[in-house]
Amino acid sequence: MSLPLTADRQVTHEAPERDLLKRVWTNAGWFSVTTHQRLGKRYIITAFIFLLLGGIEALLMRLQLGAPENTLLGPARYNQIFTLHGTTMMFLFAVPMMEGMGVYLVPLLLGTRNVAFPRLNAFGYWMFLGGGLLLYGAALTNTIPDAGWFAYPPLSGPQFSPGKGVDVWAQMITFTEISALCVAVELAVTILRMRAPGMTLNKIPMYCWAMLVQSFMIIFAMPAVMVASTVFLLNDRTIGTHFVNPAEGGDPLLYQHVFWFFGHPEVYIIFIPALGMVTAIIEANARRSVFGYPAMVLALVGNGFVAFGLWVHHMFATGLPQIGEAYFTAASMMIAITSGVQIFCWIGTLWTGRLRLTTALHFVFGFIFIFVMGGMTGVILASIPLDLQAHDTFFVVAHFHYVLIGGALFPLFGGFHHWFPKFTGRMIDERLGKLSFWMLFIGFNLTFFPLHLVGLNGMPRRVYTYPVSLGWGPYNQLATFGAFIIAFGGVVFIANVMRSRKLGAAADANPWDAGTLEWATTSPPPNYNFECLPVVAARQPLWTDSPEQGSVVGLRDDRREVLVTSFLEAKPQSRYVIPGETIWPFITAVGFSIGLYYSVFSFAGYYVASVLGMIGLIGWFWPRRPLELRP
Amino acid sequence: MRSVACGMLAASALCAQQSALDPGGRNAQAIHSLLVAFFGLLTTIFVIVIIMAAVPLFRRHRGIEQEPLERTHQPGEATEKRLGLVVGIATAITVLILIALVVVSVSVGKASQGPSRPGKRMTVEVTGNQWWWYVRYYNDQASRIVVDANEIHVPVGEQVMIRGTSNDVIHSFWVPGLQGKRDLIPSRVNTEWLEADRPGYFRGQCAEFCGLQHAHMAMWLVAHSPADFQAWMDNQLKPAVAPSNSDEQRGQQVFLDSACAICHTIRGTRAAGQVGPDLTHFASRLTIAAGTLPNNKGNLGGWIADPQNIKPGTHMATVPVKAEDVQPLLDYLESLK
Amino acid sequence: MIGTRTLDVSELQPFEISNKSPLFWGQVLMCAIEGSMFFILIATYFYIRMSVDVWPPPGVPSPKPWFATLALIPLLASCVGSYIASEAAKKDDRRRMLLGLGLNLALAVLYLVLRGIEWRRLNFTWASDAHGSIVWTILFLHTYDVIADLLMTTVLILIIARGRYGEKQRLGVHVDSILWYFLVGIWIPLYVVLYWGAHLVGGAR
Repeated sequence: MSLPLTADRQVTHEAPERDLLKRVWTNAGWFSVTTHQRLGKRYIITAFIFLLLGGIEALLMRLQLGAPENTLLGPARYNQIFTLHGTTMMFLFAVPMMEGMGVYLVPLLLGTRNVAFPRLNAFGYWMFLGGGLLLYGAALTNTIPDAGWFAYPPLSGPQFSPGKGVDVWAQMITFTEISALCVAVELAVTILRMRAPGMTLNKIPMYCWAMLVQSFMIIFAMPAVMVASTVFLLNDRTIGTHFVNPAEGGDPLLYQHVFWFFGHPEVYIIFIPALGMVTAIIEANARRSVFGYPAMVLALVGNGFVAFGLWVHHMFATGLPQIGEAYFTAASMMIAITSGVQIFCWIGTLWTGRLRLTTALHFVFGFIFIFVMGGMTGVILASIPLDLQAHDTFFVVAHFHYVLIGGALFPLFGGFHHWFPKFTGRMIDERLGKLSFWMLFIGFNLTFFPLHLVGLNGMPRRVYTYPVSLGWGPYNQLATFGAFIIAFGGVVFIANVMRSRKLGAAADANPWDAGTLEWATTSPPPNYNFECLPVVAARQPLWTDSPEQGSVVGLRDDRREVLVTSFLEAKPQSRYVIPGETIWPFITAVGFSIGLYYSVFSFAGYYVASVLGMIGLIGWFWPRRPLELRP
Repeated sequence: MRSVACGMLAASALCAQQSALDPGGRNAQAIHSLLVAFFGLLTTIFVIVIIMAAVPLFRRHRGIEQEPLERTHQPGEATEKRLGLVVGIATAITVLILIALVVVSVSVGKASQGPSRPGKRMTVEVTGNQWWWYVRYYNDQASRIVVDANEIHVPVGEQVMIRGTSNDVIHSFWVPGLQGKRDLIPSRVNTEWLEADRPGYFRGQCAEFCGLQHAHMAMWLVAHSPADFQAWMDNQLKPAVAPSNSDEQRGQQVFLDSACAICHTIRGTRAAGQVGPDLTHFASRLTIAAGTLPNNKGNLGGWIADPQNIKPGTHMATVPVKAEDVQPLLDYLESLK
Repeated sequence: MIGTRTLDVSELQPFEISNKSPLFWGQVLMCAIEGSMFFILIATYFYIRMSVDVWPPPGVPSPKPWFATLALIPLLASCVGSYIASEAAKKDDRRRMLLGLGLNLALAVLYLVLRGIEWRRLNFTWASDAHGSIVWTILFLHTYDVIADLLMTTVLILIIARGRYGEKQRLGVHVDSILWYFLVGIWIPLYVVLYWGAHLVGGAR
């Protein structure tokens, strides 16, 4: 079914119309901004700061473990630092960073002007920031959680973790969870209903498929972490419930089941957007569309589904019935198939493309090396007898850093380099970029490869020191050395970014000659993204010459208007007026934050949050002029 | 590895590995063999995948098989068909390999985790505490039940069933040289089987983060020949050695009169505390404070004088001992063989 | 440029008050989130039951379903009010919107009163034991959601009654009905678990 494009009207966006668009799409207000580019950049920069904090925590840990029987950090402080490291990386860096990249890129890739719910987007950012401020603000008052990033009871319960540290941890999760859910809902609706006309399901960029799968995973997985951390643990700690208290009918394993029902999908929530980035980078730098589009989409969707059926592999040592465990071994191994299919398709794409070895493509090759190795150790861990030796040792630490850093961080850094021209309007320095890549790659392998060996040689996780006599010292020394190489690689990257923002060569709209829509507008894009929204007829619109492609006309420029298209065929269905700048998302987030901060101390905090939040929401939705939308 | 570490220590008894890569019993051996097989296969697959990924890097300038991509940036149909075949075959091989790995894992799981044969076995009950191990050798005859701490002794060639639970938080019982780990969970009893194939010393460590001194919650599992084990058990069944001189007599008196007796038991005396480890045969153990220090008078003196200095956060109280009572107390405790 | 031809969309409606609206889809996803949470709590109920021997615990009488079943009547009837309001919103019929919203609010408040009466009669609290914790949590979270929705309905009534509203507010009325149908709908499995669960899986093991 082709769309009724005509050659009647000439598309010339006169200067007055462009100025009108610019005025309507202004985003000057710091607390009231609702444009997705600005909010996306905010998410990215804030998440990056948390990456640096988490990295400093990692360096402190590695310094302490660099020598046996070291006395740099005592047990209390070390336990706090490894808890902060894991919590910061998982909740305050990884998910928000992936969300932020999505918030920035998805509307551009789909050919629209903003996400479906811009105020929700702003609200989500402020809640993310509120959560980070809670954790680190409390840390400044020496109220620091120390029960690990997944805080198993009874250790994390009221009897064995008195004080407010774990309460702060549990409630911080509420913030980051709300933030992720907001972005998930808005991205899902944007991808499903606001695509450029002609962008059928079969033509959606792979990165948007990844964000769609990830958004649905967030929707079904995140509630579980709220139940585990807030309903079970926080209530057991503060108001005397007995969910995980074995003395009164509760069960510590209930917490583990519900937490890992979230926790396993969580790592795929972090990893799947990165897979989308890999495809985007490969397509641009191999100068061809990825091979096997349908298989890749099925693999992504399959990955999303199967990820929900694996959680018990975190609990193989808890003494569960054998027959149940065998199923989880099978499922945990089978998910390697979905990842494997994608790796094969990418390699096939690289074989048959014309490669241009940009820094971004370096990071993709680094991803393949590191992630596939992590996948291999994952297959080892899926096997129960092997897991019973390796679980809770540094072997697992090595595995998950290989899959998370290899699988998510390397593609992310590739993405930074690939989309840097689009974000900033300048080219990033390729030599510094490649230098930072090699430092990160070599440093990473030096740090984490030895940890496989020391784990199998008996070193458990979360130990603040270890005896000389066990011979673990040399491995740990090497790992500490590698950690500093990673740190220097990070410094080179930051220096490259700062320098290129000012001194990089000016970038035009499409410096990589890529095929997707984000490259069809200026670098950086104007707040309204495209002067006229595009009409597409291919997966790579910029590589396609077709009478079925063109521009949308007839949307008003004097208000923020976008197009709603049908779910399957992306046929235009209605126009959609989206809100402009407004302070109410910020006010609502402040209201919820005050109440939730208070709830760390008293249950009444939830009522405070509800009242203040309600006031914010009323302001948010209260009718404003103009009331009627004249066509 | 072992010899390097061993060479650095005077007391060879403490020189044993805590390693899954150095199995000393049938369970750990089965796991080790499976690990070697997995490692070999997966390394091969990894190398193949990486080579396949790296080839395009070297081909790109030579342009072999690289058709000039048409305006749509799409290779020809023939190329795509061939790629489809290759990816399909690779996926099918992957599926088959994974199925095989699942089957092998379940099979080795059954073999390594269950009892290997019916019949005679020894039962040892282990209870995790912050940060020490309560050990109880079960016996049908109540008079032959022995309570100990932080060390487990077993005869070579006999199946041992470990029944584990916890008094406080979740711990994990792990002696890598003999078997995988099993979590110790309050209000639950988990079991695992292990069997030593040779005499020796196997170090174990708690493998579930359990608080401040998780890093210092280790244990020794000592495997004896059956005759030696019997001798050891016979000794354990006896009550504590009586003091043999006036210093030890004084030491015992200090122990019983101070707070020590509130937490610790010494069978044969009136000390019957249940809070801390049983000390009846304390001097026969290799280490103090759950594997933290070698067991000798100097270390023991330091431990008693200031436990927080050695194991910050430990629940062992700092019991004041008058200066003139210290040596007699140490003499007494080190006489409890 | 990707092409020079144009697609004219000026004929399209500026706003759509129907299930095709993005806000509607967003609300459905929000309901999916809440639904996931409630299903985890249902699973928790059965998990806790399997961890203990006697259910309900000693001292707690088996729940009598008749009162809660009776209370379902005003709850289900309140959906009629939502339906009237959401249909009226499509046609911009102010009086019928107010009628529907008012009917919904009145019946829902009646339902809450009935639930409150029954809740007060429980002889255990959230701190009694794990059974008490899960029963109170399910009741609390569902009631909280219901009260939040009713507050939003009240605000909508005020806005519509004032007379100064536009398409967005009418869309809000339409979408609010979805949330209400969800809250009523999710109550059905919760009700089955809370009031019939002890009969299905109760007793001593």
